[in-house]
Amino acid sequence: MQFKLDIFVQNFPYLLGGLKLTLGLTLFAMVFGIALGLGLALLKISKNSLLKWIATIYIEVVRGTPLLLQILIVYFVFAKIISLDAFTAGVVALSLNSAAYVSEIFRAGIESIPKGQMEAALSVGMNYSQAMRYIILPQTIRRVLPPVTNEIVAMFKDTSLVMVMGLAELTYRAKQISASTANVMTPYIAAGLVYLVFTIPLTRYAQRLERRFSKGA
Amino acid sequence: MLKTINLTKKFGDLLVFDNVNFSIDKGEKVVIIGPSGAGKSTFIRCLNFLEFPTSGEVYFDGKKIDESSNLPLMRKRIGMVFQHFNLFPHLTALENVTIGPKQVNGLKDKEAQEIAMHYLSKVGLDKRVSHYPSQLSGGEKQRVAIARALAMKPDLMLFDEPTSALDVEMIKEVLDTIEKVALEGMTMIVVTHEISFAKEVADRLIFMADKKIVEESTPREFFENPQTDRAKKFLDKIVNIAV
Repeated sequence: MQFKLDIFVQNFPYLLGGLKLTLGLTLFAMVFGIALGLGLALLKISKNSLLKWIATIYIEVVRGTPLLLQILIVYFVFAKIISLDAFTAGVVALSLNSAAYVSEIFRAGIESIPKGQMEAALSVGMNYSQAMRYIILPQTIRRVLPPVTNEIVAMFKDTSLVMVMGLAELTYRAKQISASTANVMTPYIAAGLVYLVFTIPLTRYAQRLERRFSKGA
Repeated sequence: MLKTINLTKKFGDLLVFDNVNFSIDKGEKVVIIGPSGAGKSTFIRCLNFLEFPTSGEVYFDGKKIDESSNLPLMRKRIGMVFQHFNLFPHLTALENVTIGPKQVNGLKDKEAQEIAMHYLSKVGLDKRVSHYPSQLSGGEKQRVAIARALAMKPDLMLFDEPTSALDVEMIKEVLDTIEKVALEGMTMIVVTHEISFAKEVADRLIFMADKKIVEESTPREFFENPQTDRAKKFLDKIVNIAV
């Protein structure tokens, strides 16, 4: 039951092999999550009440149910219907989930831009989408960078949940190693260390950004 | 050029101004003065539909404007300068001025920059073009905002208390700039508390109080010989403050 250095050294390369999958899932899920999240945020602040409702319901449902449950539904229901491989299903589930969280970050960011900015943009003759694109969103993106970075950290950790699809990412491999070596502590601690190598610098980075922006730079 | 008929604005149940009939001809300079809460700012914001009037009509160049009109097309012909400048903080002074010509009029970078430089030198800021708004003083910000509006070559300019948010020592540079624009023949509506500016620049003065136009005359007449008690009361107060 204790930490064994020889088990650690012997199995670390195999464990680290799972990192590729973990990072790949994070990267794809964040790209799609951010794009989809921005879209949802724009729907949610739109004047069209139907679009607003669609966005609101989506966000509430996704944020109100466990990610693990969402992964199971995507993998065992949708992925079977439209025959997705496990990796794609994982990316889909994680993207759909992070989109809901990212959209709330974007919405709050957009709403934090003073009203005068939109008015000034309209007053030079821009239409709504030009004002969004050239004036509001560029300012929003600077403001949401810290919380979005934190969301990336959360996403990176959440990729461990796709082990239920049998994807051999970090946590899945840790479990495999613990089964084959009959040592629980070593592989899980090793996996934890690998996660921390990424999450600590990213979290620090987000904190630094936050401090910089709060100084009004 | 621009005319309102029975223009009324309410925020919910709160009446902001009621049945305002107003018109301005090409080349005219109109100053709107009055106590705060009289609805002056909201009134000029209804002229370019930053606020939608509750009832009544707005005509611009003889055409009726309403919510279904092509508002961007109308707004680019009506420049607006705000009390709090509303410069785009993520853009340099130059970019603040080029963005309209570029994105709205579809001009190339070079053309837009030439226009922007022309107007930035007109407001005396051709040396500060690469500064961001946060690096400019209040007076400089407001002059960039004036250049930004002028760069769209509007037919009419709206000034919404352009010096109210400025430190005293910066008011003059902004008023001088507006006066310069006025002297070049720009049609303008200026909401302001600056009496000497009103006397010098305005062809016509409108006194708004209690949610309507109370008095309309030349600035000289208004300040020397106000007709209504409401105007007298107002002038008493602001003269006291000035002393």
